[in-house]
Amino acid sequence: MWRRAAGACVALLTAWIAGAATTPPPPLPAEHLTVATLPERSPHWVFGYDSSVSNETDYRIYVYDGDQHRDLGQLDVGYYAGFALSPDHRTTAIATTYFSRGGHGTRTDVVEFWDNTTLALLPGEILLQSKRAQTLPSLYNVHYSADQHFLYVTNLTPAASYSVVDLAKRAVVAEVDTDGCVLVIPSAPRRVSSLCENGRLLTVTIDDTGHESSRTVSAPFFNVDKDPIFVQGIPTAKGVTFLSFLGDVYAVDLSGPEPAFAAPWPIVTAAERDRWRPGGTQPAALHEHLGRLYVVMHKGGEGSHKQAGSEIWVVDVASHRRLARYPVDVAKYGGAISVQPSQDDRPLLFVATENSSLLIMDALTGRLQYAEPKLGQTCCYLINP
Amino acid sequence: MQERLDRWTERAARGLARHTSRRGFLSVLGRTLTGAVLLPLLPVMRGSQATAAEPGAKPAATDGNSCEYWKYCAIDGFLCACCGGTSSSCPPGTQPSPITWIGTCHNPGDGRDYIVSYNDCCGKTSCGQCWCNRNEGEKPMYRLSLNNDVNWCMANDNPNYHCSVSVILGVAGK
Repeated sequence: MWRRAAGACVALLTAWIAGAATTPPPPLPAEHLTVATLPERSPHWVFGYDSSVSNETDYRIYVYDGDQHRDLGQLDVGYYAGFALSPDHRTTAIATTYFSRGGHGTRTDVVEFWDNTTLALLPGEILLQSKRAQTLPSLYNVHYSADQHFLYVTNLTPAASYSVVDLAKRAVVAEVDTDGCVLVIPSAPRRVSSLCENGRLLTVTIDDTGHESSRTVSAPFFNVDKDPIFVQGIPTAKGVTFLSFLGDVYAVDLSGPEPAFAAPWPIVTAAERDRWRPGGTQPAALHEHLGRLYVVMHKGGEGSHKQAGSEIWVVDVASHRRLARYPVDVAKYGGAISVQPSQDDRPLLFVATENSSLLIMDALTGRLQYAEPKLGQTCCYLINP
Repeated sequence: MQERLDRWTERAARGLARHTSRRGFLSVLGRTLTGAVLLPLLPVMRGSQATAAEPGAKPAATDGNSCEYWKYCAIDGFLCACCGGTSSSCPPGTQPSPITWIGTCHNPGDGRDYIVSYNDCCGKTSCGQCWCNRNEGEKPMYRLSLNNDVNWCMANDNPNYHCSVSVILGVAGK
């Protein structure tokens, strides 16, 4: 009797399972093809500049959300692109080069403009002379004037100069010969400073037509042979700050008619000097409100200034005191090459690595929140959009 | 050696002249000549102490496909030896850059320092093989003659960067 009842139960269970397996789920609803729209800009976004080293005619800038941990879209920016964010943050200007037949054909240098609210290319490119500088990214290869009237584009043929682009006239209106000095570091109202090979700073005043009206050359403010500064300058409220290969901070005040140079100060102790050094593609960045400098650091000697770092050092600019050392898991993610904090009160610290990973840390504690395993091909220079 | 340097300088100068304005050309030529005059003053102190191969030293890396090759002490790019060329020749169908920068590399095989020219090979998209970035004596872009960040194909008819070579110009520090 007991066996007969058990058999009946098994039969019932088998029938139920078979029935469940043959009942199809409801069909998926039809989809409508759409184009995603970009959400409101968040302070936790970052632009990741990718030089696509294995196919360099195809540089990109990725737009990445550090809260959602996702890629939001990209800008196509051509060959050895220079970039500049407009002061109102609505536009990204790209000075770049294209070839008429892909990797060859006629060279065209041009400025293109991207709408940062839609990631769409705006109509109205501006042609440049085919002489713009093709070099590694920095914030000062291309730059807007503070009033957004001009765009300055560094040239190198290898003779050094820069083009002055009038954004209302949509044309290059002047070229300033910089006598070997490079980069365009603007200051209000119409001044542009450039770094010179002897450690001096050239500052040219531009008139309303875009032409040079006067120039000054400073005394040398750093020693090019003994301890050069990285060209990846860090914008500050009053000017620009540079970091040297050995770890000295050079703050330049560009708010007055003549540049003023603060006494350099070290981020390393005497015992650390020449053992720990800044390095990478974007060695340092500033959280302006907190006054904290974030620096990619590695152990190394002469010639190691592009070496990836194993730590991020956090330095208080006012007191010159080191606040923290954030370790980077080099074995897991590769060494750090670039650093950029968001500028809000709950700042994220974006760190790009030599493996093109993007690490997202709490900028106040160094706690790793997320690691994006691969952003682009050979990302990154990191920009606050 | 002097004859070779002269030939190199002439090629570089002709290349510059083709691609720069007269004022810019003269400006750069002036700096190039200054650089040439200063060549013996480049950081080549070790050259004066050159001896035969150091006893107990590791054998010199001589493989052009290896980033460790001593000639590549400040190269930045794809090694042309991995792209159809050699450590001192551009791959077929590419064009050497007429302008370049020079560096000083120590050959542990003979204990000498050599002045080398880092030329880019141009006219095709990047090779993508054997990436190598070393920076002994390298300086930022404002010291252009010692910088490996800029595209040295900049003055070529087709400035597309393909790969890089390291060409021995002569012994340093004599």
